[in-house]
Amino acid sequence: MKKNRFAFAIPALVLLSLFAVFPAAQLVRMSLSEVSLQTLNGNWVFVGLENFRNGISDGSIPWGLRLTLIYTLIVTVLGVVGGFIAAYLLRGKGRYASIVLAIMVFIWALPPVVNGSVWKFLLAEDGLLNLISRSTIGQTIPFLFSHDFALYSVAVVNAWVIIPFNALVFRAAILGIDDQIFEAAILDGASKIQEIRFIVIPSVKPASLVLTILTIVNAFRSYDFIYVMTQGGPGTATQTLPYASYSQAFVQYNFGAGSATAVVAVLLVVVLAIIYARNVFKEERS
Amino acid sequence: MTRTHKFGITVLGQTFFLITYAVPFIWIVLTSLKKSTDVFDSSKSVVFTPTLEAYQRVADIHLLQALGQSALIASLSTALVLLVAVPAAYALARSSAWWSVAMLAVLIVFQMIPQTSTVIPLFKVLGNLNLLDSLAGVVIADASLMTPFAIILLRPFFRSVPEAVEEASSLDGAGSFRSFWSVVLPIARNGIATTGTVVFIIVWGEFLYSVNFFMTPGKYPLSAMLAQQVSSYGVNWSGLMALAVVTAIPIAILYAVSYRLLKEGLTVGAVK
Amino acid sequence: MAFSSKKLTAIGAAAVLALGVSACSSSTDENKIVVWHYYSLDNQVEMLNGFEKTFEAANEGVNVENVYIPQDQLNSKLIGAVGTSTGPDVVIFDGYSATSLAASGALAPLDDYVSEFADAGQISEGAWAKLEDKTYSVQSYVNTLGLYYNKSILDEVGAKVPTNQAELEEALALVSAAGYEGLSFAGQPDLQGAFQANPWLTSAGFSYESPNVDSLTKALTLARNWVEKGYVSAEVAAWDQNTPFSKFMLGKTAFAENGNWQLATLASDAEFEYGIVPMPFGQGTKIYLGGEAEGIASTSKNKDLAWKYLEETFLSKEGQLQALDLVGSIPTRADAASEDAVAKDPYLNQFSTAIADQGTPFPDSVIPPKNTETVYAEAGTMWSLALSGQAEPAKAAAEFVTKLDTLLK
Repeated sequence: MKKNRFAFAIPALVLLSLFAVFPAAQLVRMSLSEVSLQTLNGNWVFVGLENFRNGISDGSIPWGLRLTLIYTLIVTVLGVVGGFIAAYLLRGKGRYASIVLAIMVFIWALPPVVNGSVWKFLLAEDGLLNLISRSTIGQTIPFLFSHDFALYSVAVVNAWVIIPFNALVFRAAILGIDDQIFEAAILDGASKIQEIRFIVIPSVKPASLVLTILTIVNAFRSYDFIYVMTQGGPGTATQTLPYASYSQAFVQYNFGAGSATAVVAVLLVVVLAIIYARNVFKEERS
Repeated sequence: MTRTHKFGITVLGQTFFLITYAVPFIWIVLTSLKKSTDVFDSSKSVVFTPTLEAYQRVADIHLLQALGQSALIASLSTALVLLVAVPAAYALARSSAWWSVAMLAVLIVFQMIPQTSTVIPLFKVLGNLNLLDSLAGVVIADASLMTPFAIILLRPFFRSVPEAVEEASSLDGAGSFRSFWSVVLPIARNGIATTGTVVFIIVWGEFLYSVNFFMTPGKYPLSAMLAQQVSSYGVNWSGLMALAVVTAIPIAILYAVSYRLLKEGLTVGAVK
Repeated sequence: MAFSSKKLTAIGAAAVLALGVSACSSSTDENKIVVWHYYSLDNQVEMLNGFEKTFEAANEGVNVENVYIPQDQLNSKLIGAVGTSTGPDVVIFDGYSATSLAASGALAPLDDYVSEFADAGQISEGAWAKLEDKTYSVQSYVNTLGLYYNKSILDEVGAKVPTNQAELEEALALVSAAGYEGLSFAGQPDLQGAFQANPWLTSAGFSYESPNVDSLTKALTLARNWVEKGYVSAEVAAWDQNTPFSKFMLGKTAFAENGNWQLATLASDAEFEYGIVPMPFGQGTKIYLGGEAEGIASTSKNKDLAWKYLEETFLSKEGQLQALDLVGSIPTRADAASEDAVAKDPYLNQFSTAIADQGTPFPDSVIPPKNTETVYAEAGTMWSLALSGQAEPAKAAAEFVTKLDTLLK
């Protein structure tokens, strides 16, 4: 008989109701009101969906949405696949693998302002990558100052920072696979590729689900790297929804618009969250 | 023959990751040892006269204070997060009731809400509770921020604790909590330690809440000192990198210490 | 077992201790003033610390506490603090937010203090920020733009120091042909870009009083043209004000549009001959008088002491000369500005000339306070869009003017 474990969730529910539900509710309320520096402490004028309408008509929401989807796709694919590959390559317990993993985790632990600044230098016109590029293919690549490249550049840097975390989780999952299964596979004459395809990948499926959802959420709300590296530019090339939301709220002090933009991003994730939650439970029931 | 071939690819792959992560790492350390005028000079990229100037500049009483604050905030927040997230993750792992599914989805949504959207409402809440400019306020704020993430991450670990073990314990007459405490937790302890380490590292670098909810400069953690290196009047590159190195050293130590846990740790977790 | 009760008790005790110790925080101490600022540069912090010492020495028993807050958090933290009565006494903020903050009720009116301030007349009219006839803050110094040039490069290629736009373009052509970088400035899509775009826009005839698409297009086309010709690096669309100056310091760039706060760096680190002229864009060129403004928070319980602090530091002749000396900021007091330190310094007096001829208040008074930040964010975006080539100058200009229709109402 399944015992009701609801009681165990109560401490979390209490903490979150007090300190997470209220801000979330305020966010929604703000998105439906006109709030500026002048009215922040006073009465918020309810304006219904006006902030959303404005965001759509001035193009900031559709444009931001488009950029965010591209950004998230790149970060998630590179971050999850890259994390898996790194985990597989570094699964050994040898010294070399440990050192590489340690450096990777060190980088992941650094604040975005540091990682973003470092890459800003490395990707500059006279930065290391362009020095290499000019001496090999004779071209300067405008990583961060061309509207064609900027979004991708920042997304790749974001993915690069996330890979170590994903690698850690994947690695542990891989290490958890019973050695006997591998021995049996070798006896059966399976190739490395087959090993990976039929043993490793299925075994890390639960890990990949968790990491994928966490990476998607991270990418969807990530504005730090854009803030440090491009400030939403050049032009509007990196004005993703989270960055636009930050800019509207903290630079333009249009808190209503900033909240509306954030709500749009959150709504998209709600859909994803429901799909994830239902799938996870379906998986586990089988 | 296939062995060495495979070996070659593995080493190649490992080296690829080494280069991609070590180059920036080296850049950070080198920059922290440069004079500010040398930072932009590409001719002084690798060969330059190193100086400990940047480190000397940041190494004062404020650094120690900030270090202490970072340590306090990170450990207390992690403790609080684990306190509430561990049982919650257990509940979600053991139940497939509608409220579990809903709660998991809601947690993901909470995880999604940007900090920039929560800082102002939280400022009001903490103000009303008289918790501004206090360690408690920042700890509570950081804990609320990290709890959804911790629950999502911990859940798979509890999933993989075999139900049979719990059932055996309850057959022996142990209540829900007793089974949880004496039987389930020890099995999941690696996952808990891992999550705790990850949460600690993230809170260590957290900056928005600390900077907004503390009013006295002496209470700012390291992350705020880092922010002060960057301004619209100029960026103190060597100072920023020196502080980055200083900030990351305790993390590196923590990682090294918990490496063994992390190594074998997440094992039990995400497998099943 | 990972969770021994001992460990938990220890953590619990620490928590209780921390809670208890930090619970009392607000200062109702009538001999203490809290100063909020965002100063980061060593010399700025040195100046502020100097003021703290001066004031404490002259006023026994008084304690000044300087609190650093990152620039992009300061305004919202101030508003939040005002709402919860936990704010500072003195606040030093970005001057262009003056009317915006005043309109939000965060600043206390200063008129009573000003009327008693003997030296009020020394400070230029435009330095006081007014809203609805009440004064809310003051700029004790201004930071503004000029055109720095690398004399060594100009001499080498035979270019003369430009006095108008045509001469500048000639010089750029010569410099570029010799393999040097031409002109650097900020083009990123934010306030810094907008600040630096102003001389370009105004010299082409643009003003916020009567925004004109054609003049904007002219200005944007010129800038974009220079990028395409290679006189200006394509990276400009992503530059803030400081990165291009760091590159100028390397000695391979002929011109840099930048501010007076860079003078100290040039003086100590430049390895080439340099000079400065006011932006040579001709009649109608305007430069914003930027810099920090000082005000008193509306929730301050020590307003009298706060004003005394300002009088004795930022608004005093000695204080303004300190700022000049340490940071290179131009004083707003007439007596300080006419000191030899300014008048006889070949670089500073170029800035003084520039301020006299081209200076204009920041923000533009035509912009409604609540839209100040948005207008400049949009202006910066337009600037960056055109510079990067993402949008045609005409299109970027038209979009901006359309937005202004609503924003300037």
